[in-house]
Amino acid sequence: MLTNYLIVAAILFSVGTVGFLTRRNMIVMFLSAEMMLQGVSLNLVSFGRAWGNWHGEMFTIFVLTVAAAEAGIALALIVSLFRQRHSLDVSLWQELREPGQPAVIDAFELECESEESEWPQLTPAGIEPVRAEDEANETTHVR
Amino acid sequence: MSDSWLVQHVWLIPLLPLLASVATAILGPTVLRERSHWPCLAASAFAAVLSFLLLFTKTDLANPTTPAVYDWISVGLFEVSVVLRVDPLTCLMLVMVTSVGSLIVLYSVGYMHGELGYWRFFTFVALFLFSMTMLVLASNFLLLFVFWEAVGLCSYLLIGFWYHKPSAAAAAKKAFLVNRVGDFAFALGILLVWIHFGVIDPVNGYGRLDYDHAFANVQNITDTALLAICLLLFCGAVGKSAQFPLHVWLPDAMEGPTPVSALIHAATMVTAGVYMIARLSPLFFASPGAQLVVASIGGFTALLAALIALTQNDLKRILAYSTVSQLGYMFLALGCGSVFAVTAAVFHVFTHAFFKALLFLGAGSVMHAMGNVIDITKFSGLRHRLPRTHWTFACGAASLAGIPLLSGFWSKDEILAAVLHRSHEQSGIVFQVLLVMAIVTAFLTAFYTFRAYFKTFWGDEVIPPEAGDHAHESPPVMTYPLMVLAIFALGMGLVLSGIGIFLDKPTLIGQFLGHMPGWSEHTEHNANWGLMIGSGVLALAGMALAWWMYGRSTTLPDLVARKIRPAYNLSRNKFWFDEIYQATVVGPTVVIAHFGRFFDNWIVDGLVHVVSATPRFLGRRFLRPIQNGLIQFYALGMVIGLVILVLAIKLLG
Repeated sequence: MLTNYLIVAAILFSVGTVGFLTRRNMIVMFLSAEMMLQGVSLNLVSFGRAWGNWHGEMFTIFVLTVAAAEAGIALALIVSLFRQRHSLDVSLWQELREPGQPAVIDAFELECESEESEWPQLTPAGIEPVRAEDEANETTHVR
Repeated sequence: MSDSWLVQHVWLIPLLPLLASVATAILGPTVLRERSHWPCLAASAFAAVLSFLLLFTKTDLANPTTPAVYDWISVGLFEVSVVLRVDPLTCLMLVMVTSVGSLIVLYSVGYMHGELGYWRFFTFVALFLFSMTMLVLASNFLLLFVFWEAVGLCSYLLIGFWYHKPSAAAAAKKAFLVNRVGDFAFALGILLVWIHFGVIDPVNGYGRLDYDHAFANVQNITDTALLAICLLLFCGAVGKSAQFPLHVWLPDAMEGPTPVSALIHAATMVTAGVYMIARLSPLFFASPGAQLVVASIGGFTALLAALIALTQNDLKRILAYSTVSQLGYMFLALGCGSVFAVTAAVFHVFTHAFFKALLFLGAGSVMHAMGNVIDITKFSGLRHRLPRTHWTFACGAASLAGIPLLSGFWSKDEILAAVLHRSHEQSGIVFQVLLVMAIVTAFLTAFYTFRAYFKTFWGDEVIPPEAGDHAHESPPVMTYPLMVLAIFALGMGLVLSGIGIFLDKPTLIGQFLGHMPGWSEHTEHNANWGLMIGSGVLALAGMALAWWMYGRSTTLPDLVARKIRPAYNLSRNKFWFDEIYQATVVGPTVVIAHFGRFFDNWIVDGLVHVVSATPRFLGRRFLRPIQNGLIQFYALGMVIGLVILVLAIKLLG
């Protein structure tokens, strides 16, 4: 009974790990990390059930809370990083390597939308949306 | 307590120079500048006045120590406090140190004028006076040792005053290192004192290092221990007072400013050794073996230094060797082992301080006028140019030579009389030989002193080009101390000893020092007229010979030098002592030092470098490539770590 749950949890965790290690798209990496978290959470819940107490559930709720906060920060970071390089490729960010070390350059470039494509723009907070007739002579900025 | 106010406040005498030193050190470079001599001058003059007053104050002879000024060390039963001791010997030494010291300070005001580091000079001199006064006031061995070392330090600082001059720096180092040899033995001697005198009275005497305890128990320790103590302490005196094996530093100390030479040779430093033996004479009285060694070394040094002084051409160096020679005299007297002889030695220290300070300051005055040229072959006939220097120098030279009725005559004669007296007693044959050596030395002293005098002040007037237009008499601030010292050099012997001898009564100095606690009272001594007349005639003969050879412009000296070429060279090259020490001591030490340096640079440092280079190499080779900045790489590391952890738990747990 417990074993089945554990197997599913292990599969979730492993899939997440492999996904995190092999994918270069930051959002996919983030999702993989979430998947690892869910694997662990599943483990906790199943052990809690097996022992007949609420420890596992309590931990899981805690993990979910932290994961929610982490998701907020991580996605904000990803958006910010994306703004800088117009790409989600994580291998574009390796400036923290030791000085003198050559950069790792992947043989395959991450396929992404062309540079020219229009990105959706968020409506700036607190500023009235620009009406259609004004769009011609005014561009909006994101604060 | 019947002690007077002065005895209770005797700590003022060392304190004043100390305050002056501190004040000059703090204020000298910024506030006082050209007025830096004032604190030192005022302090030394005031200390001299206090010392003179102390001389005429009745001291409590049964209990000569004053209450502790400061509790220095207190470990269980082992207690050493800064306790000062006031007895006739101390009073006499204090008068000598402070009065000669303050005259030298006054002279330095003129001599050091405009010198770079003017304030530094007076700081060191004041510190020197503080150390020396504390040395003579000390009442226990440890305190004596501390200020013994402090005097050595001050001499190092002052000899190396012109530290940018390599020869001065080398001379300072030499003085310090040679003194270290003696001081090491001295420290061992003090340890032996502590061990042997400490165990006698384990209840309340353990670790007592004061003189009184040692004097009281001198009969209670074995002869061998006493001999070892005396010889080790004497080694310290040999170093400090420049006796035969360790005399080499004193002539080189001429590299310092001339007032420093005067200070070292007359008032402070070299007299410390004589003072120490005189102070501890109850120990030496009880050890005939040590007396023999002290007297032999002293007599030998006196003759050796006199022989070297015969052919030196550096005026200050002649005086330096004469100091070594006169100190030899004093040790010869100290080795005679009678109160009379020790009194004679202290008397000679006292008179010597005045006339030797006079001679050095006179030489400094000559040097001042001659543009720092001090080679007596480069100038002559200065008696018209430097009249005051000439007359005062003549007084000092006559006194040193032992011309009858001058102060050097009386003290030297007392030493000769003491040696003569001793030669009738046990192991007298040694003292007979020493007496002959001392008489020969007396003749040589008169000869070389007047050689320097005649070559400098008589003959045709020759002035070296370095003098420029400065070849005139020194300013009054320099000549007045000379005159005061000249008066002392002329009359002091007569007052302290001569009058008593003429009236066939105890001499003043004998009476004064006869009250020393621990020194037995029999100081009466019949004047030995034969010896006195003999030594006076010898001194006059030496003077006449010097005039005959150097007073007239002849080629006689060169002729004599050619006739006895090997002996002349031996003396000229100072018996090759420096060369012998260079070959036997300095050379091997330098070789060992080079080896040590090689060992340190390549083996010890090499090991350290290997240890420090290993992590750097490993890091560069293995750890650096891992840090490639790619997130997945770090994540992979974590996963590998996790796998290893899980496997470890699985396999080991």
